[in-house]
Amino acid sequence: MKAYWKIRCVFFIAIAFAATQAFAQQPLASPPVTSPAEKAAIKAFENQVNEYVKLRNKVREQAPKLSKDSTPEQIEAYRTALEESLRAARKGAKRGELFMPEVAAYIRRTLKNEFQGRDRKEIRDIAFETELQGVVLRVNYPYAQSAELSEMPATLLSKLPQLPTEVRYRFVSRNLVLVDRESNVIIDFMADALP
Amino acid sequence: MRKFVSAKILLVAFVVALSFDPAFAQKLNGNTTSPVKLSLPLKEGSLRFAAIGDTGTGSSKQHEVGEMMAQYHVGFPFEFVLMMGDNLYGSEKPYDYEKKFAVPYKKLLDDKVKFYASLGNHDLALQVNYEHFNMEGKEYYRFKKGNVAFYALNSNYMDKKQVAWLESELAKDTSEWKVCFFHHAPYSSAKAHGSDTQLREVVEPIFVKYGVNVVLTGHDHVYERVKPQKGIYYFVTGAGGKLRSGDLDRSSSLTDKAYDRDMHFMLFEVAGDEMHFQTISRTGETVDTGVIVRKRK
Repeated sequence: MKAYWKIRCVFFIAIAFAATQAFAQQPLASPPVTSPAEKAAIKAFENQVNEYVKLRNKVREQAPKLSKDSTPEQIEAYRTALEESLRAARKGAKRGELFMPEVAAYIRRTLKNEFQGRDRKEIRDIAFETELQGVVLRVNYPYAQSAELSEMPATLLSKLPQLPTEVRYRFVSRNLVLVDRESNVIIDFMADALP
Repeated sequence: MRKFVSAKILLVAFVVALSFDPAFAQKLNGNTTSPVKLSLPLKEGSLRFAAIGDTGTGSSKQHEVGEMMAQYHVGFPFEFVLMMGDNLYGSEKPYDYEKKFAVPYKKLLDDKVKFYASLGNHDLALQVNYEHFNMEGKEYYRFKKGNVAFYALNSNYMDKKQVAWLESELAKDTSEWKVCFFHHAPYSSAKAHGSDTQLREVVEPIFVKYGVNVVLTGHDHVYERVKPQKGIYYFVTGAGGKLRSGDLDRSSSLTDKAYDRDMHFMLFEVAGDEMHFQTISRTGETVDTGVIVRKRK
């Protein structure tokens, strides 16, 4: 009889411990399940981004060369040339050309999923704590050089459609922006992307 | 003749020994009022480096930190400096590189001290190409000095590619010491930003798995030595050019030692299984000192 109670006690303690651990760890929100339509939308978005990268790399070839041990003057000359050439090459570019409605809907859903709940509070704090004075969102124009860059939460980055190294996501308040990594030119943005 | 040679050897040995003496170093520096007070062991053949974070303001106080580093460099000739990011606040024109970096650390640069930078949330990506940041054109990179491997990470954008790179590099790294440095702090008791738990969620398991010993970060404009977390020593050294005075949460259970009254820099000396450190304020006051002993596997 004693042995029976002993086993019962150990069993209940084990269950209680497992439950506490599960609660304490607050696992990450799992990535949203993608439907065939969403998969197609992501694919289309990735194709659009790759097209942009092809264009910017072609433009880049005409910019002054930049080595890994450049002077500030060389860096400035490269950045300016890349920015101006990109603007000329994408003349007339408009918001929503890469963030098409289908992929935008998927991204909104991912963000909503990721930003929900008590354990995701910190991600919201990071996105909103950035000082953004002087940032004007205008496609084909650079993100203000003097403004802070928001940290993109690592846990979120793994769930958004993946980008090539030349392109980055960035939050500006509730907007999700796609920027060129080197020139800082805004390629596209989604207004009010954050829930 | 033999006596003369022995005397000469003794004299040379005496001068060499003196040159490692901070008091003598002050004289070499021509500044007898210098507050240089070294508590590092200065062991022969040891690896010596410094660390600074959140520096790039171009303010007079940043210059004073740079000047104090140069004074310490005389008695403690460190080979290189790790930078925790926010290397250039505000605009990044050629003039800014001068004002916010090259001029404050001119003496060190003239003495061929190398700087290894990481990127903060105020730094544009093209800094990776700057000649004095030694980033090899990369936002995250590894280099090795003696028995220590250093990993500079870009905590602004810890995407899948960077995580995979970090894991693959660490997996094959047989170095005795592994030091990671980057901007955002996985552990911090400062009120302005505090611990970056979402970053920690991604990088800490990798650090633990592959035996990272020390993590250096910035972002919060204070100094903090965090109590070892899962066997790893975390430092916040984010007041090399900006200070958030009184920002530390004094009730934090994370803190082993903290300082938020002035700007600071850090010195390190690695000798075998020991990593000695000394944290020094802008005015030369030693605010923390200690030794980390590496556990052998």
